[in-house]
Amino acid sequence: MRVFLAMVVVLPLLAACGGTSATTDETSELTVFAASSLTDVFTERIGPAFEAEHDGVRVVFNLGASDSLAAQIRSEGTADVFASASGTWMDAVADDPGITGRADFAQNRLVIVTPPGNPAGIAAIEDLSEPGVQLVLAAEGVPVGDYAREALANAGTLDGTLANVVSNEEDNASVLAKIAAGEADAGIVYESDVSAAAGSDVNAVEIGDDVNVIATYPIAVVSGAPSTELAAVFVAYVTGPDGQAALASYGFDPAT
Amino acid sequence: MRSRTPLPLWILAAIGVAFVSLPLLALLIRAPWSDLGTAFTGAGAGTALRLSIVVSLAATVLSMVLGVPLAWVLARSTMPGRSVLRAIVVLPIVMPPVVGGLGLLAALGRGGVVGRWLHETAGIQLTFTIWGAIVATTFVSMPLVVLATESGLRSIDRRYEGAAAALGAGPRYAIRRVVLPMLGPSLAAGAVLAWARALGEFGATITFAGNLAGRTQTLPLAVYEARLTDPGGAIFLSLILIAMSIGVLVAMRDRITQGH
Repeated sequence: MRVFLAMVVVLPLLAACGGTSATTDETSELTVFAASSLTDVFTERIGPAFEAEHDGVRVVFNLGASDSLAAQIRSEGTADVFASASGTWMDAVADDPGITGRADFAQNRLVIVTPPGNPAGIAAIEDLSEPGVQLVLAAEGVPVGDYAREALANAGTLDGTLANVVSNEEDNASVLAKIAAGEADAGIVYESDVSAAAGSDVNAVEIGDDVNVIATYPIAVVSGAPSTELAAVFVAYVTGPDGQAALASYGFDPAT
Repeated sequence: MRSRTPLPLWILAAIGVAFVSLPLLALLIRAPWSDLGTAFTGAGAGTALRLSIVVSLAATVLSMVLGVPLAWVLARSTMPGRSVLRAIVVLPIVMPPVVGGLGLLAALGRGGVVGRWLHETAGIQLTFTIWGAIVATTFVSMPLVVLATESGLRSIDRRYEGAAAALGAGPRYAIRRVVLPMLGPSLAAGAVLAWARALGEFGATITFAGNLAGRTQTLPLAVYEARLTDPGGAIFLSLILIAMSIGVLVAMRDRITQGH
């Protein structure tokens, strides 16, 4: 028994020693924190293409709501690159721990999504305030949630529409999932989510230019990151012609 | 006879205690106590607290109503495939709650396998309602009732029931006067575990029932939403939740251990 216990205590220590000496630098890893609305274009196109161009580089994505990502970067600081769906959360990261090479790389517009067949007959943003419509939005503080409330305020129907909200979801992808499952009548997400490349099983209803909100996506290298040099190369790729072409095919507009 | 506890055990036990209690302590240290007065109004704590109590109690009752008979069947019946049935029934304990939530959506959501039919014929919709929160919470809590009750039933010597029958008691009378009293501690343990689990339920609820203050936003969901916009409020909400859970476990500790 005593021997067993001694082994329990000592073995992890041995393992820890072995672990550090066995580490090699054959592959370098790049950690990219990106807004969940970038999931498809980053994981399907930009990530694999960047890996193919750079031997031995592995791009790891952490995808989520930009507000959550900013909070994680501020408390843990493990990101090399931050691609945010709003300038506000990039400002927060610029403030602490700091960023370099900031550039706006894409724009996105809002669109109403409904389940296939549009059961509630939504034709315009004003219809979302009709009694009985079940609406799903991203929560306040999540960029797409704030943009959606801004667009509703522009349309002059914010109060009536908020009364129809049945759930404040944690991020853009959760809103889309609820609509794709047919659980609610409508949601507000990014236009890139309904592009042909995104391949989502929802019906889109345009929001007029007079009330729509343009989301601008900034990207930057996070200060103090493990691989800042490679991070700068990645940022250049995303803002360069190949990255821009990929973004365009996924329904993003170029940054102005 | 008492034997001396070996030193390595002490060391590992101390690490174990520190591991569990440190996050708790850190929340107490990080709580912005000077904002205590205003914290609860901003985070809608009262609403979330009321909803949490209603949902967790309803889920506990539902777990008992369905779980105890289920445990009885598992412990006493001789039908084939019981071990498979038991594995399926207790699966939610080890399954990620978000997976449970997705499964519930696919089954009972408005567009789900059964939910579509419920919605079209009876106009019943569970998602985004308090009933949805109760269903999601029951899904993760009920297995604890089943496990506790079944192990209690197995530990009861069936000769007591035989004796009761020999003395002229019918099966129902024997259950009510002989088995249930002996099963009491196990039922209490199951109920408390289910309630404590229900209070902390997050993943299945947010996935299936959504997140709306006053309707489906229980305390854990309120903590999650407040953590970015109002970190101090999120810590206070967390402390309420922890205090409630500790209260439940401490208050019922003696009842749980009595039977073993």
